[in-house]
Amino acid sequence: MAGTSADMSAVPDTAPESGSSPEEQPTVFSVRNLWKVFGPRAERVPEDAALAGLGAAELRERTGCTAAVRDVSFDVRKGEVFVVMGLSGSGKSTLVRCLTRLIEPTSGTLEMDGEDVRAMDRGTLRELRRRRAAMVFQHFGLLPHRTVLDNVAYGLEIQGMGRAERRERAAEMVAKVGLAGLEKRRPGQLSGGQQQRVGLARALAVDPEVLLFDEPFSALDPLIRRDMQEEVVRLHREEGRTMVFITHDLAEALRIGDRIALMRDGRIVQLGTPEEIVGSPADDYVRDFVRDVPREQVLTVRRAMRPAGDGEAGEGPALTPDTLISDAIEAVARSGGPARVVDGGRCLGIVDSACLLNVVARIAQPHQETAGEVAA
Amino acid sequence: MSTAAPPTTAGAALGAGRFRPVQALRRRRGLGKLLLLAVAAAVLIPVAETVWPGGAWPAALSVDVSGPLNGASNWIIDNRDSHWLFVYVLGHLSNAVVLSVRGVYLLLLALGWTGVTAGVTLLAWRVAGLRIAATALVSFLVSGALGMWVPTMQTLALMIVAVLASVVVGALLGLAAGLSPRLFKVLRPLLDTMQVLPAFAYLLPVVMIFGIGVPAALLATVVYAAPPMARLTALGLRGADAGVLEAVSSLGATGRQRLFTARLPLARKELLLGLNQTIMMALSMAVIASMIGAAGLGDRVYQALASVDVGAALAAAVPIVLLAIVMDRTTAAAGGKLGADPSAARPRLLRGWPAWAGIAVLTAAAALAGRLAGSTIWPAGATVAIARPVNDVKEWMVNHLYSGVPVIGGTADWAAHFTNWVLNPLRDGLTALPWYGVLLAVAALAWLIGTWRTALTAVLAMAAIGVLGVWKPSMDTLSQVLAALVVTLVLGIGTGILAAGSKRFEAVLRPVLDVMQTMPQFVYLIPVVALFAVGRAPAAAAAVVYALPAVIRITTQGLRQVDPGAMESARSLGATRWQTLRQVQLPLARPALLLAVNQGVVLVLAVVIIGGLVGGGALGYDVVTGLATGNLALGLVAGVAIVCLGLMLDRVTQPTERRTTGKGA
Repeated sequence: MAGTSADMSAVPDTAPESGSSPEEQPTVFSVRNLWKVFGPRAERVPEDAALAGLGAAELRERTGCTAAVRDVSFDVRKGEVFVVMGLSGSGKSTLVRCLTRLIEPTSGTLEMDGEDVRAMDRGTLRELRRRRAAMVFQHFGLLPHRTVLDNVAYGLEIQGMGRAERRERAAEMVAKVGLAGLEKRRPGQLSGGQQQRVGLARALAVDPEVLLFDEPFSALDPLIRRDMQEEVVRLHREEGRTMVFITHDLAEALRIGDRIALMRDGRIVQLGTPEEIVGSPADDYVRDFVRDVPREQVLTVRRAMRPAGDGEAGEGPALTPDTLISDAIEAVARSGGPARVVDGGRCLGIVDSACLLNVVARIAQPHQETAGEVAA
Repeated sequence: MSTAAPPTTAGAALGAGRFRPVQALRRRRGLGKLLLLAVAAAVLIPVAETVWPGGAWPAALSVDVSGPLNGASNWIIDNRDSHWLFVYVLGHLSNAVVLSVRGVYLLLLALGWTGVTAGVTLLAWRVAGLRIAATALVSFLVSGALGMWVPTMQTLALMIVAVLASVVVGALLGLAAGLSPRLFKVLRPLLDTMQVLPAFAYLLPVVMIFGIGVPAALLATVVYAAPPMARLTALGLRGADAGVLEAVSSLGATGRQRLFTARLPLARKELLLGLNQTIMMALSMAVIASMIGAAGLGDRVYQALASVDVGAALAAAVPIVLLAIVMDRTTAAAGGKLGADPSAARPRLLRGWPAWAGIAVLTAAAALAGRLAGSTIWPAGATVAIARPVNDVKEWMVNHLYSGVPVIGGTADWAAHFTNWVLNPLRDGLTALPWYGVLLAVAALAWLIGTWRTALTAVLAMAAIGVLGVWKPSMDTLSQVLAALVVTLVLGIGTGILAAGSKRFEAVLRPVLDVMQTMPQFVYLIPVVALFAVGRAPAAAAAVVYALPAVIRITTQGLRQVDPGAMESARSLGATRWQTLRQVQLPLARPALLLAVNQGVVLVLAVVIIGGLVGGGALGYDVVTGLATGNLALGLVAGVAIVCLGLMLDRVTQPTERRTTGKGA
């Protein structure tokens, strides 16, 4: 752990100051220089700098190995929704499985609440999986021969809880995810959305510290997906449970993520808030990726404002720095003049229609840099 | 490219292939393989021809194993009472078998016909529902009415013990193979191969060790019936949804929890299918094993066939068929009910232990009632002797249908024509073919359809037949197999195409195929003997009838499963039905058709061998003679040749993708 702190630069330290500062929250998962290489004698790849630097095709040709996760470092803080997003084959699903060693990492350090997960023996690891981290899967992973209730109670059964007690708990969870009345059904008799609710209830039933989601809604219809996303947001609001959420859907990532790690070819190419990802893409790949995002619905006036001119600081409607551009557009349009961005009684800057349009139209403003610095 | 007048014909063939050298070979891999074989042949045949002149299998290359085999057999007979292996291991095993079969038999007798019938009916009702319960009731009553109650109980007792043993052995093997990939890799080809071997091949080794008697019969049955259970258990365990298993692991399940709460329940369908196949194969074998000392229905059929008493054979065969249908439908229905809506379950009384207790109580009550009424054995007055009327019908057939029917001739005439015009020329042709020619043909076929591995196995198996010195009878058997196979394929694939094209025809055909596929091989011999008397033609006919259902089924399914999109696009381009069939359906159904050929070969061989009992001659006859005269070496060598032939035929027709479920049911 100490030895890897030199690589901390890989972890962007640019969390927003908005809301309750997550930086003060304790770290749940701490991942440093994590590698997962599939193939013969995989362990030599991370060790050998020459091999570690190779591209995927070259690495396969030279060693027969595939590096699914390459030198990944990040922290998941308590209570946040940490989204890992990337296209298929980017290594995100492998990454989330490494967190509970469903897939054994090749190298790197991995801590949960300060405990070294990689050093855990089988019993301790089992306890971790049973009580501290529960996972929701893309294809649900339900037991077809059991009823909904028994599926939800399954995690508790594995823990050794008595039948009556676990069924009572499970019934609670079934109601919580909105499936009351379907307890006696089999998974095969449910729709995809309902099955995933069962999967969610099963994970919640063990009351885990962290919920891990592996592309949970990819197999669902768009409308149901939306419902489920709202369900997750609601659960998070109510319980404040830490979540690690894997997705390939950018809209989903932006909608529910507090922070997003964008993966490509096993590496994290950018880690930041949705606003940072959309507003300041780290490279062309990310820029390309977020090109079609409606920026006014992600970015805030922080990124649009310019320094107040003479006499402007006292006039116009007041907006907080966290106001979305889309809301600011409405305010500016209604008032007919520029609006002030005010934080704690201090005027940070001014947004007028030109600034707002520039953001929507993706035209870089000369003073955007300063605005960005203010935000940081 | 200056080919200066190639000296040999093989060279000419080579020269012809050199026109567009590499590209042609690349494009047509089959051609390349053939060319390679041609080269090998051109080199090897002259050598073989000079070293061992003549077309028959060279004597220098054969080994006479009858001496050592007889020695071994004599040694076993001499030491059966003294050697520790027999005294402490096999002796106990054989005693345990005798005791348990005897115990079950006595229990069945003690229950009386009332108890057994009530018990079986209730059991079928509990497991499979009312209709099958009615079938069971009628079946047992009919068996009794035919005067076959005691043999039926004998067969049932053997079956119960054999199935239990097979399931335990098979499930344990399957469990081990399902959990250990390495063991699976070793066991799978072995089990696959065991499944294609004819039942006759198993008879002699067990007789050699145990002598003729119940232990040998039971052991042969278990060896024959356990592989499907093992295979399907392993496949079921390995085929479990990886996503579910991962989810189970992610919740922190231990290995044992994973096995019992996820893997085994997920494999229930395969387990029940395995049970079904095991039961069907056990029945099939238990009937054949009458030849090595199993009493019961099979013995009655065997005795009757030996004296060509069709009536008596039929009286014993009907209970066999009924038993098969009841067992098959009951286990199949149990499998089909898996995953059914649990809310549609029956009233509380019919579920869980009360149901089982109820069955036990009612069975005991029925048994007691029978005992009080003084009728534990089926009442002698209540039997119907069908042997005589059946024999009368057969007599009539012999007199009126065998020959001299105007225009169409008679059945015996057909059999004679088939023998004279098809079987004899084929046999003579195969026998006259030089041995290396046969080996080459086998290699070419196997390589074209499968891989070089299957080709090598096939050639080695064929060579082993030659080495054992049974080349000639094997060619005889092979000729019968080939003739029957061609008939089977023409009829089967033709019917399959019709059935795939017409839903109505398929609906009519299905129940017929269901019953046909349920019947044990042995039973097929009876009608053909009635129709065609004895000889090679009836054996081939029985083989055709036996193999037909599987071929029809696989063809129909294969054609039905052709991508509807491809068919639709062909139709939208204006293809006629015939064009669609020829250019889209049949090519796309190629894997299924190859599978049909493979299954057809395996099934035909099984019955052609058994045909040795009704005058089929060749290898099957050698086994029968070996058993009847105590000439174990003769029978054993024939058995090994059967194994080799089966191996060769299977490998030659083995498509790259193997079937997941074998025959049996």
